[in-house]
Amino acid sequence: MDSLWQWCTGLFANWGIVWRNFDYLLVGAYPQGPLGGLAMSILMAVVGIFGAFWIGLGAGLLRLSKRPWLCWPAILYIEVIRGTPLLMVIFWFYFFAPILMGHSVPETESAIVAFIVFTGAYVAEIVRAGVLAIPKGQMEAARGSGLSHAQAMIHVILPQALRNMIPSFVNQFVSLTKDTSLAMIINVPELTLAARHIYTRTMKAPMEIFLAIALLYFVICWVLTALSRRLERHLARYQARTAHGR
Amino acid sequence: MNGFWKQTVLVLTALILAVGSAHAGKLEAIKSRGKLVAGVKDSQPPFGYVDEQTRQIVGFEIDLCAALAKKLGVDLELKPVTSATRIPMLEQGAIDLIAATMTHKIEREEKIDFSITYFPATQKLLVKKDSGITSVADLAGKKVGSAKGSTSEQNIKKAQPACEVVSFETYPEAFLALKQGKVVAVTTDAPILLGIRNSDDNPDAWAIVGEDIAAEPYGIGLPENDSDFRDFVNISLMELWKSGEYQKIYDKWFGPSTKFPIPLTWTMEIWP
Repeated sequence: MDSLWQWCTGLFANWGIVWRNFDYLLVGAYPQGPLGGLAMSILMAVVGIFGAFWIGLGAGLLRLSKRPWLCWPAILYIEVIRGTPLLMVIFWFYFFAPILMGHSVPETESAIVAFIVFTGAYVAEIVRAGVLAIPKGQMEAARGSGLSHAQAMIHVILPQALRNMIPSFVNQFVSLTKDTSLAMIINVPELTLAARHIYTRTMKAPMEIFLAIALLYFVICWVLTALSRRLERHLARYQARTAHGR
Repeated sequence: MNGFWKQTVLVLTALILAVGSAHAGKLEAIKSRGKLVAGVKDSQPPFGYVDEQTRQIVGFEIDLCAALAKKLGVDLELKPVTSATRIPMLEQGAIDLIAATMTHKIEREEKIDFSITYFPATQKLLVKKDSGITSVADLAGKKVGSAKGSTSEQNIKKAQPACEVVSFETYPEAFLALKQGKVVAVTTDAPILLGIRNSDDNPDAWAIVGEDIAAEPYGIGLPENDSDFRDFVNISLMELWKSGEYQKIYDKWFGPSTKFPIPLTWTMEIWP
């Protein structure tokens, strides 16, 4: 029993290394150098989900269109991206963008574009499901009152549908926050790469360092999920009241 | 926070506007933009790694690049690369040169050019001291760790076809696998192995053994078919050697008082 205890404490004896480098895990070399660490992971996730929302909204609505020349490009985009690993998408943008654009693209920007395009396909499916979940009568009634299809979509269907989609968006955001760790493959100085920098320099305490970043990811994602649960409860109450009010 | 966002927006705009000048000579391009962009390792003490105090990338190769930038009269910008990304990045023009423990191989000449050798390494084995492994012959049927995209990975396959090569992203990760018994040896260039061994809590538990599996002369990777730039780098390296500045930089990272002492026993190729 004693030796087991010793073995356990020995396994995690190097928390000092994590503590001394904690600011590097949080913000990277900033302000002397580029922003990195957890701040970079969160920045990429926030910019990524913001961009993905608009791309996904567009692609989701196009996919719902009955005109084939609008709907097929959206289906192609969604199916190709959903059938591809994110790591591949990150590589594509990093190594193909310079060929297309004629100049090199910085790692962080290229990773963010990859996250936007990748997450956009999933958001498109959320949007499609959200719109389809609204009873058909809503669209028929809106059209009957003289609104065009686009007006009905913007003023009647989407406000209801988007509210229902919020939990799914948060879910996607949590997922993207964790996926930002993949950007290390092209040397974006996010949290996982920061951990590797510390480990490869000290060659000590891999358990402590990687456990510490796992905890950081967990705390961020747990806070997001908790917020999403509260938001869900709040919205459910709101919807119930309006339903009774009518 | 406001200042930070303003700065971020400015930096992003600058990055978007910064269009790499396509096929002009590298020397002119570097001088006109006022900085030399060097692809370096950020996880390879003492060649290139992130310093604990300053949070900056430092190391032997970084000091060599700084000396080249000084000769050009421009600033130095460091871009971390890995063994897998460095050649595509140079081909795209994301970096001007590679100083990242890269072996000068004829095979690599197809895509990029090289400077003269600035560090002659040989490939060896790092093993547990009492493991009984003393040469490549002892590796038959065993697992050996290396890094993806490295020459060591290919050389060991040739030297000992009966071993199983397990490739990791970086050598420190290969060493972690060695410590945990997932591989019986890590193979790469002796100075890298020494760096790994001497960073451990208990360096004496590990030994660098075996014959020279392959010669691994490090050269600076340069864009294909840019003779002016290659001349500049070659002549600068020789000048650094002749002026004693190379020896000073070497001593700073590999001298007797450092964590990675390797005696300076070779002479750089000097053209008359």
